[in-house]
Amino acid sequence: MSENKSVLSCENLSAGYEGKAVLSNVNLHFREAQFISLLGPNGTGKTTLLRTLSRHLKPISGAVTIDGRPLASLHQSELAKIMAVVLTDRITPPLFSVFEFVALGRYPHTNFLGRLTKRDKAVVERALSDVHATDLRKREFTSLSDGERQKVLVARALAQEPQVLLLDEPTSHLDLKHRVEVMSILRELCASGHITVIASLHDVDIAAKVSDQVVLMKNGGITAFGAPEEVLSSRVVSELYDFTSASFSRKLGSLELQGKKSGREIFVVGGMGCGAEIYRLLSKYNCSLHSGVLFSNDLDAFVADSLGVKNIVQVPSAEVDDPSLDQALQQMEGCDCLVDAGCDMQGIYKGNQVLLNKAAKMKKPVFCFHKTRTADNGRVQVGKISDLPAAIEEVLQNRAAI
Amino acid sequence: MRAVAVAEPPAVHNGRAVKIFFPLLLLACFGVAVLSICTGSLGITPAEVWNLLLHPDETTASMIVWKIRLPRAFATLLGGGYLAVSGLLLQVYFRNPIVGPFILGISSGATLMVSLVMLTTLTVQLHLMSSVTTTLAAIIGAYAVMSIVVFISSRVRSGVTVLIVGLMMGYLCHSVTAVLTALAEKEQIKGFVLWQLGSFSGFRWGEIGLLCILGGAVLILIYLMAKPLNALLLGEEYALSMGIPVRWFRVSLLLTSCALAGMVTAMAGPVAFIGLAVPHMARMIFSTSDNRILIPASMLLGGMVTALCDLVARSLMAPVELPLSAITALFGAPVVIGLLMKKRVKL
Repeated sequence: MSENKSVLSCENLSAGYEGKAVLSNVNLHFREAQFISLLGPNGTGKTTLLRTLSRHLKPISGAVTIDGRPLASLHQSELAKIMAVVLTDRITPPLFSVFEFVALGRYPHTNFLGRLTKRDKAVVERALSDVHATDLRKREFTSLSDGERQKVLVARALAQEPQVLLLDEPTSHLDLKHRVEVMSILRELCASGHITVIASLHDVDIAAKVSDQVVLMKNGGITAFGAPEEVLSSRVVSELYDFTSASFSRKLGSLELQGKKSGREIFVVGGMGCGAEIYRLLSKYNCSLHSGVLFSNDLDAFVADSLGVKNIVQVPSAEVDDPSLDQALQQMEGCDCLVDAGCDMQGIYKGNQVLLNKAAKMKKPVFCFHKTRTADNGRVQVGKISDLPAAIEEVLQNRAAI
Repeated sequence: MRAVAVAEPPAVHNGRAVKIFFPLLLLACFGVAVLSICTGSLGITPAEVWNLLLHPDETTASMIVWKIRLPRAFATLLGGGYLAVSGLLLQVYFRNPIVGPFILGISSGATLMVSLVMLTTLTVQLHLMSSVTTTLAAIIGAYAVMSIVVFISSRVRSGVTVLIVGLMMGYLCHSVTAVLTALAEKEQIKGFVLWQLGSFSGFRWGEIGLLCILGGAVLILIYLMAKPLNALLLGEEYALSMGIPVRWFRVSLLLTSCALAGMVTAMAGPVAFIGLAVPHMARMIFSTSDNRILIPASMLLGGMVTALCDLVARSLMAPVELPLSAITALFGAPVVIGLLMKKRVKL
């Protein structure tokens, strides 16, 4: 198996319906045994690209090459042995056992009456076990749940023994268990070294974790193509989906939802991962968050950054330096209250103690998660993180009343 | 292929049902045929029938068996079977359980041409010729509409469009027929209405032969299409991805299905419900969607049911022969309703 062999490629491809191009100038080269995700907002032509690759749609111009041969030159039944598809059409063929259904995938390989040979049956069994659905084989197809059905649909495609598997939104409308399972099945298929998987996906975070290559599509063109580790930066993902209140963190591999930042101004003293949940929780309540001082290698720094928290960050060192602390103090002064996330302040974050003391001196309410830093000088001890928003509201409203 | 241990895969269809029900169906067809040959204004015992079949003579009984009842039995078995197979193909193609062989306007085309012959004054003098002219007219009407629909179907993308085109053709033909009926005289209308309800009476051996040869050839073609037909149960998109030349296949499917229904309609008039209900019965009996089983099953079951309905139609109120479609509808409508209520049939 040569790593650099291009199993499927498009050259200057324009694709669309009735002569109107939805996609244009597409140049892609997919290598063997890779997992390729097509990402982009709805209506950018992911399905159009897939349909063109599967020859359901004729290219308007340009060419698709499969296994070194022009796609258009292949006989229908030849193509069926190289490429299989899993579509979004909801099909409910009646009175089919799962085994029979998957066996339909043997179509291009069987004789004119479709008789299954021993080998055909073995391939069907193999396909079922590849998608962890061997125990479903006797069930009736129409009785399957969405997730089970999707696995069986993948098995049917595998029964064609394809080199290339195209899937249109294989995980939409699946529950989380099956979403994860289907993705890991597809991942395993690629890892087995025989099959190139090309799938349009909606979950950018999952795509980043399973794909070897991602194709980013927007406004009828390819905006980027490459390994997710290279391509999927926070900025690129935000541009791709026009995010205004969410962001993708490459390091965290996930999406964070930024709140409206229209509520209370709150300063959170985090550190050592203590602050992450608190940032998320308060963002959910639309608080405008400030934080510091954090070392740039702290988990809290990544989460805060992803949530759009106004964060004072410094390079990691033995202790918090004075310029950063001054900045943090300045920001803290403008805040309604301070939250002490409970980080240990004996070690490298010792300097942040100044922030707590200053807040107390300024008679700002301090909400504290630390077990031993007991409530005094207007400190409010909070037991559970989820109680924090209510506690803040109560204290601040009481203050305002006085 | 990577080696994998195979622990006896399940049968691709229910083999036992096939082994039990096919012989039973054959037996039932035979039984109904015998019953229908024996029953009538002149009762004849099976032994006598057997005798007359081996040694035809000049007696009335012999004439009745050879000239009337035997051809009729053959005609019902063949005609009913063809209608059922035709309905089955269209149900699979349109993935729609309430589609029958006449959904594409074949019967309407035939009816239109027959109404032209029977209801206009042009042919009043040709009274003696009417049976042959009616058949000819029906053939022309059925196949003309079929050609139009098939032609259009080869240029459109989806099956639903074909269905709608067929329905519209039906409406067009009906409107012309309705105008002709309004303008026609009373006596003409009765004959026309009766024709519209279908009948297998008066079949000649020549017609049977034609049905056998042409229909048989088409049936063989259809059986060869059983495999792609199975794949088509997943819809045209999947069928295409499995290597079926969908447009070409669509045309041949419509052609064969219409050819069968058209030839029966031409000779027996539009017989209702057989093509709609029988495929469902076959599915239920054999509990499969495998068309390799359903095609022969529908053929046998369709023939059997039609022969039975024909027998009931002519003996229930003998000597008056009831219109066949009345009986098939009486039998077919409850079957369809029952199926839909039980949701046993989803396509």
